[in-house]
Amino acid sequence: MENDKYKILLVDDDVTLCALLSEFLQEDGFTVETLNSGDVAVARLLESNEFDTVVLDIMMPGMSGLDVLRTVRAKQQVPILMLTGRGDDIDRIVGLEMGADDYLAKPCNPRELSARIRAIIRRTQQGNSNHIVHAQLHGIVLDSGARSALVNNVALPLTGAEFNALSLLMERAGQTISKQDMTQEVLNRPLEAYDRAMDVHVSRIRQKLAAADIHDVIKSVRGVGYQMLTEPQLQKEKG
Amino acid sequence: MTLTGFWDTAKHAFGVKRLFWRIFIAFWLASLLVMIATGFVLVNKFSSDEYNKRFYNDVIIQAERIVWRYEQNLATPIRQQRKLKNWISNKNNRDGHLIPMLIKDESGNTIYHYRLNKIKSEERTEQRVSGPSSRIYLVQMSKPQAPRIYKQVLYRFQSLQFGFIFIASALVSALLSWSIILPLNYLGTFSRRYANHQEVVPLPRKLLARGDELGDLALDIDFMVNKTHAAASAQQQLLHDVSHELRAPLARLQVSAALIEQKSPDSQHVKQIHSDCLRIDQLIQQILDYSKLEQSSPSAENCDINALCQQAIDNMAVNYPSIPVSFTSVDKVEIPGYPEALLQAFDNIIGNACKYSANGELVEVSTSSREHSVVVMVRDHGPGVDEEEMSKLLQPFYRAGNKMHTSGFGLGLSIAVKAIDKHKGELRISSPDDGGLCVEIILPRELI
Repeated sequence: MENDKYKILLVDDDVTLCALLSEFLQEDGFTVETLNSGDVAVARLLESNEFDTVVLDIMMPGMSGLDVLRTVRAKQQVPILMLTGRGDDIDRIVGLEMGADDYLAKPCNPRELSARIRAIIRRTQQGNSNHIVHAQLHGIVLDSGARSALVNNVALPLTGAEFNALSLLMERAGQTISKQDMTQEVLNRPLEAYDRAMDVHVSRIRQKLAAADIHDVIKSVRGVGYQMLTEPQLQKEKG
Repeated sequence: MTLTGFWDTAKHAFGVKRLFWRIFIAFWLASLLVMIATGFVLVNKFSSDEYNKRFYNDVIIQAERIVWRYEQNLATPIRQQRKLKNWISNKNNRDGHLIPMLIKDESGNTIYHYRLNKIKSEERTEQRVSGPSSRIYLVQMSKPQAPRIYKQVLYRFQSLQFGFIFIASALVSALLSWSIILPLNYLGTFSRRYANHQEVVPLPRKLLARGDELGDLALDIDFMVNKTHAAASAQQQLLHDVSHELRAPLARLQVSAALIEQKSPDSQHVKQIHSDCLRIDQLIQQILDYSKLEQSSPSAENCDINALCQQAIDNMAVNYPSIPVSFTSVDKVEIPGYPEALLQAFDNIIGNACKYSANGELVEVSTSSREHSVVVMVRDHGPGVDEEEMSKLLQPFYRAGNKMHTSGFGLGLSIAVKAIDKHKGELRISSPDDGGLCVEIILPRELI
């Protein structure tokens, strides 16, 4: 199977669940390694970057998933999918802000988990393809090849999801893009109810742009989605 | 508040049936009666004694003078009498009148008589006086009777006192009544507040340390509320823990089902397991949401009601793509509150409206601003709810199931009500004449 080459790290304190999920994902073609505590996971992740995706349970005794996320993100850009309790909005938002790529409510249907992992990997792989696009607006230069953004020749650190979102917005500058479309294109999955992922990613992009002194270029269109303003539009808004 | 409403409240607070007035009036009347009775007896006795004393005194003084004059002149009784009378009425007219009396000397001769004929012998009384020559004379007179005029004067004097007594006893009765009612009212408010908001505010030490029956009652109520609260909290905690603990096995169950599915992809049973897992998961989620609202929240923050409504509508657009939802809003409305709880309330109410609407039926959401409150109105054009079912809607696990069988657990509105209660707001449900259901959420601008 095509998933064979992808290696997943599964971190959850529930040993039985880990075993079952690992069996399921292996059946789906992934190579799976499981760990049952946060500190071990951090050590493992920092010693190697062989994993294509990390599935991280947020609710763990001892070192929590958020702690793992924070520690690992400081050093590594490995894609991380959080497993959160349903309804734990705060955990999700905090997790996304700390740089998690996506989340999934637990308990979940493992097929959904498998699909999410594949979506994340596909997204990451896109960047490694030779599809190079240069987009430039408001002094932001996007290099799809290197998956990086430059503002006044200073690199703007973006996570994978943030980069995808920003490049989508810049490609279609001037148009309003619905949240559904953005979620589909950026996260490779359909929008869900109570889905805050796109909002958090956009809000993070805004923060990072504001830090680079670029303000108000992404507009929220209430009830629809987001829009990257073109230069004339921005002038009009400000005027 | 309408006028009748105000009147009802007033009647409730000040009505004759209130214990305050009963104690007040009973105690007041009793004390007044006792005071009047004692006053009457005392005054009556004292005044008649005093009158008698003065009466005898006057008679004897007059008689002694007559005897004295009589002995000096030794005139014939008849001639002498007129002289005596004239002399007395001239000289001794302190009271301006002659006292009716009959004076006899030792040998029984009448030496003086004035108007005693009409008075019967049993109403007469006798006194002895001695003249300068130390001869003894017998003085007959009528028995002293406090005259009516005298009594009336007394009474008038008494009525001034009566005024004081009236006011003083009213004050004392009111004070007594108040001292009983005040702690009772306090306890009433206390238990009502607990019932409505599950807030345990410690009772004032002064009330608990009273030592009387009211103090005992306060102690008992305090004890009861604390016990109930502990039991309710324990139950909440248990519910929360159980729900939480159920998730781990549920997650394993789902993966196991998925593993079976991998091996036999067309199994109907596995699909059933998956859909039931999802249902259990939703129920657990709702129970957790419900119990989360019971817990105390961090401090309130500013909530943009329009943004929260829009967010809820967005959520529902994903869950019910075939139900159009319109949104009309006033200018930005912000109130202090708990955004998560409010979003949950809006989600559930708008979700209900969508759930009970047929495809393409419009759900209208609007916000409006009033002086002291913000109103969110959700109106659907679905089948509506019977009048009698209306009140049951807010009970946990109740579903308006007579009209249709829909998925859900009947917790949605309870969660919404709890969330709105948390904001000291109000939920109103009504059936508009042209069908459907109209839910109004009224949120005060101040969170007190």
